[in-house]
Amino acid sequence: MGIINNFNIGEIAAIIIFFIGVYGIIARRNIVKSVISIGIMETAIILYFVSSNKGYEKAPIAADTVNSAHIADPMPQALMITAIVIGVGITAIALTMFINLYHKYGTTNWKKARNLRDKEL
Amino acid sequence: MSYLLSILILLPIISGILIYLIPKRASLWVCIAAQIFQLGVSVYLMSLVKEGAIYFNIGRWIPPVGISLYADTLSMSFVMLSSFLFMMFVIFNSSRHYVDRMFYMLYLSLQGMIAGIFLMDDLFSIFIIVEVSTIVVSLLIMYKRDSRSMYDGLIYLLINVFSMTFYLFGIVVLYKITGTFSLRLNAEIVKQMTDARVLYFPYALIITSVSLKAALMPLFSWLPKAHGTPSAPSVVSAVLSGLYVKGGVYLFFRITNAFSVIDTTQFFFVSGVITAFIGLILALSQTDIKLILSYSTVSQLGIIMLALNLGDSEAVYGGFYHMVSHALFKAALFLCAGIIIEKYETRNINEIRGVFRTMPLVSIACIGAILAVTGAPFFNGATSKYMISHSTNSIFTEALLIFLNFGTVLYFVKFASIFPGKRREGISKVPINREIVLVVLGAFCLAGGIFGTQLIKILYGVDVSIEIGEYFKKSLIYFGTLGASLLLFRLKVLHNKFFDRLRTFDATFNTIALSLPLFFAAVLAYLIIS
Repeated sequence: MGIINNFNIGEIAAIIIFFIGVYGIIARRNIVKSVISIGIMETAIILYFVSSNKGYEKAPIAADTVNSAHIADPMPQALMITAIVIGVGITAIALTMFINLYHKYGTTNWKKARNLRDKEL
Repeated sequence: MSYLLSILILLPIISGILIYLIPKRASLWVCIAAQIFQLGVSVYLMSLVKEGAIYFNIGRWIPPVGISLYADTLSMSFVMLSSFLFMMFVIFNSSRHYVDRMFYMLYLSLQGMIAGIFLMDDLFSIFIIVEVSTIVVSLLIMYKRDSRSMYDGLIYLLINVFSMTFYLFGIVVLYKITGTFSLRLNAEIVKQMTDARVLYFPYALIITSVSLKAALMPLFSWLPKAHGTPSAPSVVSAVLSGLYVKGGVYLFFRITNAFSVIDTTQFFFVSGVITAFIGLILALSQTDIKLILSYSTVSQLGIIMLALNLGDSEAVYGGFYHMVSHALFKAALFLCAGIIIEKYETRNINEIRGVFRTMPLVSIACIGAILAVTGAPFFNGATSKYMISHSTNSIFTEALLIFLNFGTVLYFVKFASIFPGKRREGISKVPINREIVLVVLGAFCLAGGIFGTQLIKILYGVDVSIEIGEYFKKSLIYFGTLGASLLLFRLKVLHNKFFDRLRTFDATFNTIALSLPLFFAAVLAYLIIS
């Protein structure tokens, strides 16, 4: 046990993908890549949720408290659809704002955009 | 009557959409009527929750499956405050040229979502509301569409979305352990758990994200960009600094309370103190009026965090009351700053002089708010700061609070240097509706101090007594710090190279983003070690 609550293979993959997304946000100076990294992180979360408690005995996607072996817990399915919709909305807004910024500054680089902004002061 | 809770969230959003559809002439009146109704409903519900907390299960589905709304005196006091302030802001803004129907729609939706943050019991619904309100806020920040606010809006959006993915991941991992998103049920399940260590990973994820919303050190870099961006309308800055950021602190309190088996008070006490210090130093270094106020918000949030984690119930209520007080005076200050910036057409504090002679009524309200934020006797800031420092017995904490207040006085003395001086000619009159709003807010700051104990009894149902002797002693300390700050300001201590270099420092997006995983790692390490 410990802090690692016996993760299965899908969950471990999800955690790794999540932190790949985090790395992308920290290490990449490209604004579009930042938006993509957020998309990667959201996908990882969805993977985690749908693969949680997957096993030979249980139906997929069920929490420990849902004690039925044959039906899937409907909650994660409903919620992940919502999360996907929210994610699409966020990506659309972020890209729209980026296009506006690109028209004004003409760069896709965070650092260059920052320098141009500071010059305006 | 519990269905009224959903009205508090839906009414502003529906009225916002309605205003978008009807002709412009009628829109203002619809808006004000909806605001009055909203305030009435929240006052009525406040009287109901005094007898006990109320629940409303949406669609009659009870948790763990359904979504429920939950209201107690704490959440209702914030909803009431938010209704009152939004009514003030709508009246303040009624004569603005940039206010069109689109602005009203976004602005009123934000009001509904702020009420939702305070009332929701469901962790996933909180995620959706916070995420959507992040979009709305970033659109409001760049409403005037100049390139600086475009950059600031994009940074605000991406950093907050980045942090909300941590939150979503946290609640998803939590769902696997407890099987519900309801905060209330989670609290019950967590209490019966024998081994709390499985909760460390989701708890660290959730609390990291919420700490960013509450602008804790080192996660606050987005706040001055969002609250102090030059072109954001002043009512937007006032809502963000006065109300929206309180949502983060409120969530922090709710979540740490629900996970009562995990004790992180020491960690967050220390980070609150550091936040207060850093906010203070950065506020001292700024010359932009709006940025001084934004960094002051960071510093005050640090003080609130410190109070919530002192581990004493009086300090916690002091922290809540400080949140209410801070909402009132910071709203007044941002609105005043907005008027001053518009009339003088500069934000540089060294170029603005003679505001008192030019706009006497605005200045009186502004000075009232400054006295309140610095904790002058008879103002609401004094009552809340008294409660925070009264609860502690340690000399160290008391000295710390006096020092933090000294810093606050110092940067507001700098801020107040805009008032003296000759009258500036050729400045048009301030519209009457805006003067009324500012005077009302200033009067509330004063009333919140004089009737402080009665107000706390009404809001939270707790009795606090203020000892005259100690209050007098604290007043003397206040005047002492005021004198010392005036002296230091006269000696031009604030003009030095250190502050000049600090002022020009501007972190890139990647640096700001890096602070989030680092904070997460720190929380996780603290949990494992302790």
